[in-house]
Amino acid sequence: MECYSEQTCALAVDGELAPDEAQRLRDHLATCRRCRDLVDALRAENRVLSESLHELPEEAASPAGFSHLRKSRVWGDLAVLAAVLALGSIGLIWFNELSIPAALEWFNPFSASGRTNLLFSLFDLFPTGGTAMLTDYAAVVGFLSLLLLLVAGALLLGRGRLRQPGLRLLIVLLALSLPSFALERRRSDFVTVAANETVDDTLLAAGNTVRIEGVVNGDLLAFGRTVEVRGTVKGDLVSLAKRTVVSGTVEGRIYTFSESLDLDGLLGHNLYGFAQNLRVNDRGRVGEGILAAAGDVTIEGEVKRSVDLLTSGNADVSGSIGRDLTMSGVSLTLTNTARIGGNLNAHLRQLKEAHIADGATITGKRDIQVKVRQSQFTRPRFYFHQAVWFAAAMLVGWLGLLLFPSFFRVTTQAVGLGWLSLGLGLGVLAGVPVAMVVAAITLIGIPISLMLFAVYLAAIYLAKVFVGAFLGRMLLKPAGATKGDWMLGLLVGLLILTIVGFIPYLGGLVRLGVVCLGLGAFVGQLYRGSRPVITA
Amino acid sequence: MNAKRNMAKEPQPREGETRQMEGLGLENVIERAQGHDAEALGEIYSRYVRRVFGLCRYMLNSRESAEDATSEVFLKLQRSIDSYDSSIPFPRWLLRVAGNQCIDALRRGQRGLKVFVEVEDGAAVIEAASSEPSPLGAVISKQERAQVRDTITRLPENYRVPLVLRYYGELSYNEIAQELSLERNNVAALIFRAKQELRRRLAPRSK
Repeated sequence: MECYSEQTCALAVDGELAPDEAQRLRDHLATCRRCRDLVDALRAENRVLSESLHELPEEAASPAGFSHLRKSRVWGDLAVLAAVLALGSIGLIWFNELSIPAALEWFNPFSASGRTNLLFSLFDLFPTGGTAMLTDYAAVVGFLSLLLLLVAGALLLGRGRLRQPGLRLLIVLLALSLPSFALERRRSDFVTVAANETVDDTLLAAGNTVRIEGVVNGDLLAFGRTVEVRGTVKGDLVSLAKRTVVSGTVEGRIYTFSESLDLDGLLGHNLYGFAQNLRVNDRGRVGEGILAAAGDVTIEGEVKRSVDLLTSGNADVSGSIGRDLTMSGVSLTLTNTARIGGNLNAHLRQLKEAHIADGATITGKRDIQVKVRQSQFTRPRFYFHQAVWFAAAMLVGWLGLLLFPSFFRVTTQAVGLGWLSLGLGLGVLAGVPVAMVVAAITLIGIPISLMLFAVYLAAIYLAKVFVGAFLGRMLLKPAGATKGDWMLGLLVGLLILTIVGFIPYLGGLVRLGVVCLGLGAFVGQLYRGSRPVITA
Repeated sequence: MNAKRNMAKEPQPREGETRQMEGLGLENVIERAQGHDAEALGEIYSRYVRRVFGLCRYMLNSRESAEDATSEVFLKLQRSIDSYDSSIPFPRWLLRVAGNQCIDALRRGQRGLKVFVEVEDGAAVIEAASSEPSPLGAVISKQERAQVRDTITRLPENYRVPLVLRYYGELSYNEIAQELSLERNNVAALIFRAKQELRRRLAPRSK
């Protein structure tokens, strides 16, 4: 009997041969070794094919479909966002730890309202006087700042592991510091690109109002009170403004740091925002995703990909989100028209703050988590942390006393100035972030701003050491003034401060007071130290 | 302060129910999904999103279009699940839907050009191969399987799509023919040639 063709054998192995023919083939195989080998080989081949394909590649095999990989990208984006837009708000995370009671929130320059008021008021001042500084800097400081920016950028963006958006942003920054780059600068009270006008380069615009009605072929870097894009920006939009309105088209990305952002038009790629109010109106379209830290967020239009929100208020969605919605905030509202193409992940304070209409479409899983505060005192880790914290503070105090004996002693005494130190400390606490933002706004000043930030954090840390040592001395009233006495005072003082610090409400206030007092004494002494020394 | 996680679906906590859903048999979940139970649909999503995404990823050129197609499949599922009649296993049915979605996407990408061209019956290509063992048969290691996968993704669409539908989606020739609007013979020929092409591409490397 004649042998079967390979194709027929392949059909048989795939189970696609008609039953009678399959039977004939089987009969043949019983007698023909060659065909049997062929069928075996084809079977093995199919098995390998199927196994290989089912073993999904790494990128496709992420647990939640596709959210895993995206998350790592989010972290990269977050780094960029934090680095460039939120320099002034870095302190927020740190200061949140102080847990200031709500009644005193106005007192805290880092509360949501206090902070944003402070920051955004700057934009009123900035266009009037600051713009000259900005544009001149950009024009004059060339190569040197390029190096500094590279270093700062590398530091900020994860020690050189630049991801795509980070790289782009760095390029934008470099473009700024290099006058030879194609960059057009405009500044006046009212900067406009008229409807019939086309700017071929990247445009750096600073003014009270920046309005684009025409076309910008490069990126638009806009600083002002109001930034409006009614025309087209072919590249990215970087805006630092009290109010940013996009009713035209931005074909690239939007990086914004604004009190309010309204997207009424089209955005080609991602939106990265830090805003008090972020709104995608019903005509607004986002070609990719949104990653934002904002007070309140409203999405009425369409977002093609995922939305990641960190809000201090509410997120209202009545539009459509192509992928996942991940949010953390106070409340979440999905109306009947809302559509989420992936998973919904929400972290809320209370379950009843999730208002999901029956008509809302959620394709994937709903996962609404509630933050339940568990007493920290029940966990051993807490005591371990405290012990480490305590030992570290003692070590810092000891090192300080060893290296700068007179400065530490005098500063400790200066805490005793009371109201003076407190007032000065409060001023510095609130003022330094402002100064940092001002320095960072000029872009060239980013390295200075970073250094300032480092000193600021160090001073805040040292504050408790000074106050602790002072408190200890006050209580123990040692006869001598040896190092041992000072250290003993520090030990007692820190112990008291630590314990008091955990009293609800009062503790937060005490911690804030300690930071202010210590900071004031520190800065006061630093100032005095810079003059001819007259120490007690 | 540590956040303790609570799982819940709607404004009322329904922990127990979520757990229950995970243990439920597929038929029950589908039945409930057909009654437009959002939780059941979510469960189907979490069970099959990887499978579906895998298919889309093999069939489409970019990760992003695969993600788009995946989310489209599950969105459409909310309406189309009513038409599932359990005459074929659900995963297979779902992968057919996904395959359709991808083919639509591919066709859209080609702007009306015919993506899947018909080939003459493969009767002419009986020869050789049989005497020499297929390099595929010897593939055992993980690395080699990755190589096979990689080579498949580089095959022309014409070969890749039927191959993936057959060996990943586990669809029958008839089903593939339906999806691609081709004759069953043509599908057989395409798959046969796809394998030959795959062998050809893998052969020099496996030596």
